[in-house]
Amino acid sequence: MIRKPSTLLLAIGAICFLGQAALQRGVIFDKWKKDYSPGRGQMVAGGLSPDQMLFALTGFREMVAGILWVRADSFFDTGNYDAILPIIRLVTILDPKQIDVYATGMWHIGYNFTDEEQRSDRRYIPSALALGKEGARQNPNTYEMFFETGWMWYHKIDDDYGQAVKWFNEAQKREDMLVARKNLLSNAYERNGQVPEGIETLYTLYESAAETAEADKQAFGNKQNKETLENKLDTAIVRMIQRGFIAEKEGRPLVGYDVYPPFDVNFSAKVTVIDPRVLKVEGSYGVLPVGTRIRIVLKDVDFPNSVPAGMEWDSSNDVNLDPPKKSTFMQDQLFIRNRKFNRKIDMSKDPTMYPFTGQDYLVEFYYNPRSAPPHIQDKFGFNGEGFTDKNFLNTEVREGQRVLYTTLKLTRDQILRRGEWKDKVPVVKTSNFVETGRNYFGDDSLTIDLPSLRN
Amino acid sequence: MAAAIETKKLTKSYKSRIHGRVNVVENLDLHVEEGEIFGFLGPNGAGKTTTIKMLLSIIYPTSGEGYVLGKEIGDMDVHKIISYVPERPYYYEYMTGLELLRFYGSLFGITDQAKFESLLTKVNLHRDMSKTISQYSKGMQQRIGLAQSLLNDPKLLFLDEPTGGLDPIAHREIRDLILSFRDEGRTVFISSHELSEVELICDRVAIINRGRIEQQGKLTELLRGGRVEITVRGVQPELLHGMKLRDTNVRNLPVGYLLDMPEEEDINAVVDGVRAHRGEIVSIVPRKKRLEDLFVETVTSQPAGSAPLEGPIGV
Amino acid sequence: MRSIISIATTTVGEAIRRKVLLIILLVGILFLVVAPGLGVLSARSETTVLRGMMLGIIQLTSAVIAIVLTVYMIPNEIERRTIYTILSKPVQRWQFLLGKYLGAVLALGLMMLLMTAVLVFTFWLQQDRQVSGIADLIAAPLMYFVQMSLLAAVAIFFSTFVAPLVNFFLTGGMYLLGSLFNPFFQTLQESQGTPPVAKLFAQFVNTILPNFANYNIQNPIINPGQQIQNPQAYYMQATIYGVFYIGTLLVLGILIFDRREV
Repeated sequence: MIRKPSTLLLAIGAICFLGQAALQRGVIFDKWKKDYSPGRGQMVAGGLSPDQMLFALTGFREMVAGILWVRADSFFDTGNYDAILPIIRLVTILDPKQIDVYATGMWHIGYNFTDEEQRSDRRYIPSALALGKEGARQNPNTYEMFFETGWMWYHKIDDDYGQAVKWFNEAQKREDMLVARKNLLSNAYERNGQVPEGIETLYTLYESAAETAEADKQAFGNKQNKETLENKLDTAIVRMIQRGFIAEKEGRPLVGYDVYPPFDVNFSAKVTVIDPRVLKVEGSYGVLPVGTRIRIVLKDVDFPNSVPAGMEWDSSNDVNLDPPKKSTFMQDQLFIRNRKFNRKIDMSKDPTMYPFTGQDYLVEFYYNPRSAPPHIQDKFGFNGEGFTDKNFLNTEVREGQRVLYTTLKLTRDQILRRGEWKDKVPVVKTSNFVETGRNYFGDDSLTIDLPSLRN
Repeated sequence: MAAAIETKKLTKSYKSRIHGRVNVVENLDLHVEEGEIFGFLGPNGAGKTTTIKMLLSIIYPTSGEGYVLGKEIGDMDVHKIISYVPERPYYYEYMTGLELLRFYGSLFGITDQAKFESLLTKVNLHRDMSKTISQYSKGMQQRIGLAQSLLNDPKLLFLDEPTGGLDPIAHREIRDLILSFRDEGRTVFISSHELSEVELICDRVAIINRGRIEQQGKLTELLRGGRVEITVRGVQPELLHGMKLRDTNVRNLPVGYLLDMPEEEDINAVVDGVRAHRGEIVSIVPRKKRLEDLFVETVTSQPAGSAPLEGPIGV
Repeated sequence: MRSIISIATTTVGEAIRRKVLLIILLVGILFLVVAPGLGVLSARSETTVLRGMMLGIIQLTSAVIAIVLTVYMIPNEIERRTIYTILSKPVQRWQFLLGKYLGAVLALGLMMLLMTAVLVFTFWLQQDRQVSGIADLIAAPLMYFVQMSLLAAVAIFFSTFVAPLVNFFLTGGMYLLGSLFNPFFQTLQESQGTPPVAKLFAQFVNTILPNFANYNIQNPIINPGQQIQNPQAYYMQATIYGVFYIGTLLVLGILIFDRREV
């Protein structure tokens, strides 16, 4: 007859089962997650992580990733940018240690999707940032991805400089950071209004550069580095003093400094929809020296994750190759010349980028003195202390900062010139806009004639 | 004498999709004495192999009891003193004869090289011990089977179709070996189709049919009831009828008459009677009851309409 | 104990004579040998690709060998009836099962040793005959060996009650599942949108599944530069985990096999 199972056997089985369960839950999984996981800690949109693919198991990932990336190269050359996106995603999943792909991917997503007039499709920026963040997470021991992400904040987004500071700082912590790139942190500090920290950074870099130059006098690069930093430091300190920064911090009156009294830029704007999806933007801005760029944004009133004059750039932790296609977001610069601007913005040639499916749109005008070039900042100061506008100064849309901000509204029908607007020309303007053919400020002798590359 | 094998109502049933529960072996009451050669006979599918597998605890009985050498079936101590020679060579074919003995020997803790070689000599495979099993002929495979069965000096051997498919010389060799086992005091349980072999060497037999034992006992007793055929000439049929012979058939032949009578009849009286009437005795031919007759008789006397059994292959 | 060792030794003898296994091993070794040549196709660092590929080849080949070796082992014994002769001897069924398993693991180990030797030799050549870093490299095949022993146990467990073809897919599927579940579970844990019930269920599954992913330690070997604290402790824990899980499977297998009609 079949014997009953022995108690010893059952006990052994139970002990073994409980033992493996305890080990798995208690120590193994957490350690595995920390040290050995391939790191695919996110889900890609719409489904499970493609790590579920079979060849993820086999260790051929790096090789396949490499081959795919070489293929992608050929797409770059032919300009077939859309095809590269899935490859970027695939390669970064297969081989997250291949930094090159993250960096190039970020650049590609952030910069290369443009319309006919070289305006970037900013709806992709959150994805680019997400890629950068992921790249940094996957490769925490090298400076590169931290630097690239920081650079995207600093240069492309040109807003929320605290992020640039944060990322450049992280990059500095990594031993392999290129010396030449370390200066950018001080620039980022300045942009973020943290001037003392910026100078401190320069001091630190200068000391280390001096040491290196001393140690190896023959290397030309070391000497050059030291001199560059010396110059930067000098300039920064001089500017800091001249702009009354120290005075303000010490509570002394700003009398005698260029930043006082604050200069009223007298901004006004008018938007005319001259053709379907074509805007003519004109207006005044009282700063004569060349170098001002005012940001203009046109977006859906209900654009997801909207922020004044922008969006939540950091909204995504997932690399989404499918950003909100139904939403419209146009960002451009208005160059000021002779205290006015006049720009045609043509969105008619890129319907995918500017779908105009919503009903209502916001036109935003934004200017932050923190991004002003040095000769203008000499007047406005590091933090806009010397900057004001009686109608449109705003200290709320960017916390603690003095910026120019105002909005106008347009409807879909107006932009597309449909319905009642078929024959009627839509015009919206700020309340202080004055129609005039002449120079608004009335002083023609101060006109500066400069050749222009743009309208 | 103690029983080498004893079963009481041993039953094995399987679930069949068509027939429901099917008894492959039913209420088996087997009795094998120690020191005898026991023949276990039955047609294909009767339940022979199933019975052996149960006795060797390769499969488990559904109900009933079984004892081998006084211990309940499945007792591992008993496995140390019994052995089994399967019908076909169920061995690892890549092994040589010697390696095979070494392997099975190791399962008993036997490592004596000399013993292996003497066993190979006993079964006449000494010259072929380095050949692999796959290279052995059928007869050689049977013989190596017998050799491995002797490794543990068993008191009881189970032989399943030991002479199946062998040539007459091989038959004889195996037969002689089996007889030598009995001489050595071992019990041999043979399951076989070869009725002539069984008749020659077995002491007791059992006939199993459709899972039930139909006949069991000493061969001499079971085969009682032979007949004698006496051919006579020159007598009148009335005389023959007048002899009042029981259970006798009289047949007309061209030469005379054939008297087919049970062997218990007084043949001498019949001969004297015929001669007294000036008849001639042409021939006297005893026809002993063969095991084949008994077998056929037993196996064919089934009630009409009985369903065929359906058990797993090898039953 | 003696019976177990005898059966194990016989199993090794059988395994190394199985042509299909030898062919798979040969193919694996061939790939290992040509691997350095394939590395030039990729844009990535050659060493990285080479390590990844060779470890991948060893893992894949070993998994195939483990499965093919073990799914047929017990059914073959039953079909060819070699098991009858063995069970008629004083051998308990659990001894038979254990002996077959140990034999399979031993045979597998020998084949993996051969592949690892090729791996080490290739690296030694590639590194201009330097031995540095090879000790770290060997950790992966060692862990794979434990992994494959676990896989073999899964196959043996299934073979006690399913047919070989079904077992092939069951065991293969279990290997895939067990390899993918750790990362999947990690994803669920870290994702915000997962309902707690799903997380709990996933945790339950992660506790009872054989987690083959625990032995996939190749990432830091392929991409060195990661600081891992005390890897030896982890290897030890993973090995003990493997032993426990194998024990569980073997006990279950014995319980089933004891009742099985052969």
